[in-house]
Amino acid sequence: MSRKFLETESPGWVADGLISEAQQQQLLARYPADAPTLGLLPLLGSVLVGLSALSVVAANWQALPAALRLALLLGSLLGSYGAGAYFLRRGIADLGHGLIGLGLILFGASIILVSQLYQLVGYDVSGLLAWVVAGTALSYVYGSRLLVLLTVLIGAAVQTYCVQVLGSFSYATAALVAAGLGYYWWRRPAVVSSTVLAVGLLWQAGLLVAVLHAKITWFFVPAMAIYAAGDWQANRAGARALQGPPLVAAYLFMFGLATFGETDTYANVLRPPLLPYLASLAAVFGLSVAGKRAHGRLNTLLDWLLLLPGFYLPGGLPLAVATLVVLYAHAGSVLARAHRNQDSDQLTLGAVLFVAATAVAYFKLTWAFLDKSLFFLLGGVLLLGLSWYLRRRNAQTLAASAASAPPADTAATTSPDAPIQHS
Amino acid sequence: MPNLLTWASDPARRRPLLRLLVAAQVLYVLGVAGAGYATTALGQHIVLATTPVDPRDLLRGDFVRLRYTISEAPLSQWREAAPPRRRQGVFVLLAAGADSLSTTVGIYPTAPTPGPNQAVLRAWVTDVYRHSLTLRFNLERYYVPEGSGLRREKAGRLHPLRVHVSIAPWGQARIARVEDAGAAKR
Repeated sequence: MSRKFLETESPGWVADGLISEAQQQQLLARYPADAPTLGLLPLLGSVLVGLSALSVVAANWQALPAALRLALLLGSLLGSYGAGAYFLRRGIADLGHGLIGLGLILFGASIILVSQLYQLVGYDVSGLLAWVVAGTALSYVYGSRLLVLLTVLIGAAVQTYCVQVLGSFSYATAALVAAGLGYYWWRRPAVVSSTVLAVGLLWQAGLLVAVLHAKITWFFVPAMAIYAAGDWQANRAGARALQGPPLVAAYLFMFGLATFGETDTYANVLRPPLLPYLASLAAVFGLSVAGKRAHGRLNTLLDWLLLLPGFYLPGGLPLAVATLVVLYAHAGSVLARAHRNQDSDQLTLGAVLFVAATAVAYFKLTWAFLDKSLFFLLGGVLLLGLSWYLRRRNAQTLAASAASAPPADTAATTSPDAPIQHS
Repeated sequence: MPNLLTWASDPARRRPLLRLLVAAQVLYVLGVAGAGYATTALGQHIVLATTPVDPRDLLRGDFVRLRYTISEAPLSQWREAAPPRRRQGVFVLLAAGADSLSTTVGIYPTAPTPGPNQAVLRAWVTDVYRHSLTLRFNLERYYVPEGSGLRREKAGRLHPLRVHVSIAPWGQARIARVEDAGAAKR
């Protein structure tokens, strides 16, 4: 229940005599004020202030003597850390974390501007690696989601710089983000930072594949390794938040394959050597299955449908049919699971996935007329049948729970001695 | 054993840890500055010939964009069977000529051992053509105070410049000084 709802509604309940004032206080005590949520404003604020400071100073930068420039950088660095710590001690958490974040940004800016001041050329990323180290350490000390977000962003930026400017992949940066923030996620799997971490790691995996000039399907080995890590996480929400981005990537890939794969134009980009690729993917799959089994989540096993390496099939009709079958099967599995768990969000997602699969089938139909008309019909019939079936089962389960739940509820809230009725 | 996260974020430990972290960051920035001085003091000195191009940048005041004569090299100087790839990191072996200007002896995929009077400068391949390749050294921008002497050289854009580069033993390089060869001869 939302604290806000309780705060606005409970005075009315007291006035109507539904609950006593003491019970109102008890209820309020039961739902303490929400933990401070991630402040998007302080993040934005610190970024903007950092940027403005950068551009103002930078405009006059070359005119200042070197020692003054160094002092200016270090002064603002110390100032924002000091102010951040001060506000945190005063209990103003959002502003405090924002200022600590600004300090972290200024540290990176100092490294870059001082190298420029002395016209230094770095030939590796070690200069910027310290930035990621500082971000990780600060995240640990403050346990702040804002700092975790910043560190993931910094890690991605450093890696992008390394790949773009230096033409090499920094394994140290990737390992630092994966291990340092991975451990943080393991201990504190908050939903937002889990998703951000997964996206950041996927970005680095993508850069690695690009640098190695590898087939793009290799991307899914590290991506699904991130997914498998989620299977070992005890916290269900944090696990799903980490698994979301890899699944979205896999789905988009499968979707693209279903839409464009038929022509076989991309065959040379998509097909890595069969045995090494399947072996690596199977290893990650094993890890994932073991984690699912350990935490009793084998019902999510069908997520892996999206990773079926259908791109080894010859392009054309076999590939199109196979990917569409997989898309339908996956959407069906999401729907079935959502229904079993009575999860309305997942139910919506499943329906959207199903419609998307049908849309691809429809697209194919308009492309080459008769071949896929059967497929489209099948999709429509399936959709109609499933919606009818789901609605019916929904109504049944709702009716069943309505019949059994209220007596149990009143029994629990009024008197422990009241007879518990079961229908 | 308590986990690392609760250990680090314990309020009692937070203040000393923050001080330690901030001190480390300040030292690191000072270390980068120190590396600048050390590169000049300890580094190997080479002189490269350039022509300045387009000396104006809106955001960061003035810089001179330098185009080195060694930025373009014939493919025959590439010392490996496999052709160079774009964005590949390479090592350029330089030797000082009669007028103390360094010229390319060879371009290697891994670091060669320089002989006497030779230096190794790292670079990245920007483009590969049929008979030549172009290189980037990350030394292409020389930042100058606004309205300084070099700014006036915009008019005499064709003046060749002599760029003094220091290469540190640990591989970092920096432009130590830029002098106007045309003005020196006048």
